[in-house]
Amino acid sequence: MKKVLLAAGLAALMSSSALAETIGASIARFDDNGLTIMRNGMTAHIDKLSGVELQMEDAQDDVARQLDQINNFIASGVDAIIVNAVDTNATEAMSNAAAAAGVPLVYVNRQPINLDTMPDGQAFVASNEIESGTLEAFQICRNLRAAGKSGGATGYLMNGQLSNQAAVQRSKDVHDVIGMDMCNFMTLIDEQTANWSRDEAQDLMTNWMSSGEPFDFVIANNDEMAIGAIQAMKAGGMDMAEIQVGGVDATPDALVAMAAGDLDVTVFQDLAGQGAGSIDTALALARGESVDKTVFIPFILVTPENAADFQ
Amino acid sequence: MANTSRGTGGLAFDPKKRSLPSELNIFIALILIVLIFEALGQILPYMNNQSFLFDTRDRFDSIFNEARLRIIILQVSIIGIIALGVTQVIISGGIDLSSGPLVGATAMIAMSFAQTELVNGNPNPKAVFGEWAFDLPVLIPVVVGLAFGAFIGSVNGMLIAFTRIPPFIATLGMFLICRGIAQAWTRGKPVSFPTDSFAFIGKGMMPVAWFIGLAFILHFIMRYTVYGKHTYAIGSNEDAARMSGINVERHKVMVYMIASMLAAFAAIILSSKNLTAQSGMGIFYELYAIAMAVIGGVSLTGGRGSIIGTVLGAMVFGVIQSGFTYIKLDAFFQLMAMGTIIISAVVLDKVRQERATKRS
Repeated sequence: MKKVLLAAGLAALMSSSALAETIGASIARFDDNGLTIMRNGMTAHIDKLSGVELQMEDAQDDVARQLDQINNFIASGVDAIIVNAVDTNATEAMSNAAAAAGVPLVYVNRQPINLDTMPDGQAFVASNEIESGTLEAFQICRNLRAAGKSGGATGYLMNGQLSNQAAVQRSKDVHDVIGMDMCNFMTLIDEQTANWSRDEAQDLMTNWMSSGEPFDFVIANNDEMAIGAIQAMKAGGMDMAEIQVGGVDATPDALVAMAAGDLDVTVFQDLAGQGAGSIDTALALARGESVDKTVFIPFILVTPENAADFQ
Repeated sequence: MANTSRGTGGLAFDPKKRSLPSELNIFIALILIVLIFEALGQILPYMNNQSFLFDTRDRFDSIFNEARLRIIILQVSIIGIIALGVTQVIISGGIDLSSGPLVGATAMIAMSFAQTELVNGNPNPKAVFGEWAFDLPVLIPVVVGLAFGAFIGSVNGMLIAFTRIPPFIATLGMFLICRGIAQAWTRGKPVSFPTDSFAFIGKGMMPVAWFIGLAFILHFIMRYTVYGKHTYAIGSNEDAARMSGINVERHKVMVYMIASMLAAFAAIILSSKNLTAQSGMGIFYELYAIAMAVIGGVSLTGGRGSIIGTVLGAMVFGVIQSGFTYIKLDAFFQLMAMGTIIISAVVLDKVRQERATKRS
């Protein structure tokens, strides 16, 4: 009887505040812009949860240091570990160390090399690149239809670095969207690379305009190139209200261009959302709930209507 | 006077033996490339008989496609300015690899002093310094940028002149240092939103005006001043130059300093044109600048070349770049095609030159 009471008491105690769950997080670098947004998303999310503690470490871009941090987390008995990998090729050892100790592990933002062979109790939280180009191109398509151009619209596609996976994926998404029934009124006059750069995009756009061919839209793989295209078009005396321009990233410069009515569409990678998502996933794993191996935090479409939320 | 002392190294000058200027080679190459693109425009089925340089859609008053002519020169003006400086470095027998990263570093530094306080009525989201650095007169970022260029250039020059390390290594080291400065300045964050007066420096066709103006000045300096003659003399034969009383060390410092100041000015124009400065700006600029000079007939062994040649070399790049978008060449093949054209142009120059030497 005594024992039962004790157990019940303990259980009651644990289910209330005494159950402080601890999560250890190792971030590749604290001074990286994007990762800082993600980090702040993690701390903000922790503040909203009661009874969860977050211990965050800076790996300072050092693979060995990161592995030491993980082993230290394991030694101090954390309930789950979050890793933003310094080197995504070095995640095998981290997975093994955590799995051997039976501690759940969540990779965030950077895709681990061993994603397909990850042991149970581990997951990967990030955004799926396939969404960004699709959201961008589809919104341009909708805007063009709304502008009464569904009878046929022509335009240009600016690629990022041809050797970059994100650039290749985003361009492929644009082609896929244009292949849909709803958007097949769109035709690409030409696509070229401007290497993510505003300067190259300016020159490329001016070159395109020098052919004198009329066009209705410019889709760029990132905001910098979209801004370069806008600068070239404005220098060429074009009316930006007539041309649909899209980018990806929702950078501060892009939001200013959007406020000025020049940029029509951009896409936001929700880094803070990734940070919060990694906490939720880590907690779910620690509580023994089943979690998908990959958890995708959606990209967010940014248009003049909601642009103010991102400034 | 004209028939005795125009040649380098004090060689007698005989007007009868004078062959055509070597810049003619590169001019012929330029015309050839234009003709190839013009022909491709007629041959390729999807081009609808559009012309490369001529106005086939009746958009302009003249017979030329003015928009195309403008972009051909506009897109090479900024690297062209760097190439002017590199030209005199190569003529002096050296090389400057640091110009590309110097562009990145100077752009970041200069733009930090050119920011405006309010962007569309909102505070500048990219502010580097505090209140005091907003809306400064345009002279400040320009002077700061040029001073930084002069500093880097004089370090380059002093390393090369006094420690005698090869220019390739000295400027390669500076290449890394400058890229590091560019990245460390704001820890990789871009610097944007300049004042209107700063934005004017690179607005519209301004880069072309700077390029042409500076080319004229450099041409004059290299051709008609003591500075120019000494540069050629050092590049042709450094020991002979020293023995004839030229202060080679001091001159080398000047050469590198002028080259870096031109690169710094290119950076100011570039960041003004783009209304932003980013640490990754100027990637490969040093190599393109060297290539423009070499295509223009500047000899990497020193002592030979001219500013006119380099300007023509820059034009070759501009024509190629515009030509590729004109014929809608698949982006994946452009680098290969560009490499091939560059090599062909230099080979053509070399062959014609060797023939000319044999004749004389």
